[in-house]
Amino acid sequence: MTLLKLENVYKTYHMGKVSVPVLKNINLEIKKGEYVSIMGPSGSGKSTMMNLIGALDRPSKGRILLNGTDISKLSDDRLATLRQKMVGFVFQQFNLIPRLTTLENVELPMWFAGLPKRARAKRARDLLIQVGLGDRLTHKSTELSGGQMQRVAIARALANKPEIILADEPTGNLDSKSGAEIARMLDRLNDEGKTIIIVTHDPTLAKIARRIISLKDGEIVDDRIS
Amino acid sequence: MIEYLELTIKNLTYRKMRTFLTLLGIVIGITAIVALVSIGAGMTKSVNAQFDRLGADKIFVASMVAGGGSGEGLRDKDLRRIEKLPGVKAVIPVVTLIAGSEFKGEEKALPITGVPAKEAEKVFSDAQAFRILNGRWIVSGDRKKATIGYNIYNDFYRVKVSVGDKIEIQGNEIEVIGIFADTGDNNQNSRIFMDFDYLREIMNKGDEITSMVVRLDDVSKAEAVSIRIKEALEKNHDTSSFVVLTSEQLVKQITDSFKVIQVVFGGIAAVSLIVGGVGIANTMIMNVLERTKEIGIMKATGARGSHILKMIVVESGIIGLIGGSIGIVIGYLISLGINIAAERFLGANVLTTAVTPALAGFALSFSFVVGIISGVYPAYRASKLDPVVALRS
Repeated sequence: MTLLKLENVYKTYHMGKVSVPVLKNINLEIKKGEYVSIMGPSGSGKSTMMNLIGALDRPSKGRILLNGTDISKLSDDRLATLRQKMVGFVFQQFNLIPRLTTLENVELPMWFAGLPKRARAKRARDLLIQVGLGDRLTHKSTELSGGQMQRVAIARALANKPEIILADEPTGNLDSKSGAEIARMLDRLNDEGKTIIIVTHDPTLAKIARRIISLKDGEIVDDRIS
Repeated sequence: MIEYLELTIKNLTYRKMRTFLTLLGIVIGITAIVALVSIGAGMTKSVNAQFDRLGADKIFVASMVAGGGSGEGLRDKDLRRIEKLPGVKAVIPVVTLIAGSEFKGEEKALPITGVPAKEAEKVFSDAQAFRILNGRWIVSGDRKKATIGYNIYNDFYRVKVSVGDKIEIQGNEIEVIGIFADTGDNNQNSRIFMDFDYLREIMNKGDEITSMVVRLDDVSKAEAVSIRIKEALEKNHDTSSFVVLTSEQLVKQITDSFKVIQVVFGGIAAVSLIVGGVGIANTMIMNVLERTKEIGIMKATGARGSHILKMIVVESGIIGLIGGSIGIVIGYLISLGINIAAERFLGANVLTTAVTPALAGFALSFSFVVGIISGVYPAYRASKLDPVVALRS
């Protein structure tokens, strides 16, 4: 079943009078349950691609179908709702909210989705236990190690049971031990049926995916099963 | 909603100094409003109470010669002229002066009011504040006798004055026959009341009159009669040498001057509130800038524009509300302090300020609204942030 489809997608940024084409004629299809890494050097357009796949941004030209919905035509609010249901983000910088506890950070997406307090507290707790942080529920992110913060971020990404986990350099700020742990966690999520998309410049991390898509100068130059 | 409040509290306690300084603007504005309005209301209330005491069926005619006016003062012939005017029921002359006095070896300048002895009780018991504490009113035939104010009895002289004591005025021994209870008015408490004719006689005042209380047949004609009195007096007096006021005009004159004060104070309070509001807006814009990345994170994790909008507006509204609450408490304390000071220095019941529930409610909702309005623009900006740009910041 096709979960994500990019058809002739272009993305061009306009800086004053200069147009900078970042993505050029991207065609791509990702099926439910796939484990994909999008790889490329910096400036290849992979971050822009992540923003489009994650419904944070709209293409300049072409269509992006996320679970059958064309995101290029959606309003900001509809886009937000789609993100809420479909995509869980994991960032290189973890991007937790420092004033909130780990539990509250994980609850946040469920609050936006309108889940009642009791239900989201229970699910947040379950998720944090699942990522091995059952004893860190009331800690602030400043009291956690990098690996722990990334595990909180994964729990948060899973909060609204999204189809896709979209991870941007998820091990980039971690030591090799914590990085390996996160990689194993993503692997396990894929085994449980989640579609995982990793965006990275790191070939070693890219290799843990079953399918590697290589970007260069805004175009797909390679797409193979590893 | 509870989530927004929880988030707000976390945000406000995160930057305590900034929150405190932002609050200060609103606190000052609301404190000013609460304190000033309560004082204004207290002043109006006390004037109205005095008006009730005076009664509406009277007109006051006073000589202004001593008060800076020019020309001849009021005399007996003016009284007779006013007595004849239509609508006038009676005219009671009053002479007020300060005379040297001696009591048990102590010499002091004593304020004295002279009223015709046979009218005294009628005139002053109308004004409800005058109650007898001990003894009795001066009545017809009481020439060398006086009824004295509470302060004269209590602490004017080193020794307390009792009924039956004699005070020497201009070499005449005056017997104290009554003491008034505390009227709440220090001016009235600190004088003695004697027969009009006898006082003029011993003070060599001839036929001078300080003021007159004109009683009317009909309250509704007060305005017309006051004009008639003015016209009658203008025949042989400068217009600046006397003043004619109905009870209503008297009260209005005082409350009008209060209104000016209230408008000026209200203006100051309003300006400080506007400044407070600008402070909130400024803080919220800074908060939004500082939290741009967070807003990006929230949007990436599914927050809609409306979530962000509400979050910021609730936060600024809460700043307003907290600032307002503190302002009400401080304003209340100031008003309380003024009451205590007024009682201490002006006497009981002269000025009673009050922070009514309505005033507190108004101040609270006003501060909340100021907070919300100040938050709208920063909130709108935050809600429109592009998540891609926000995340990159």
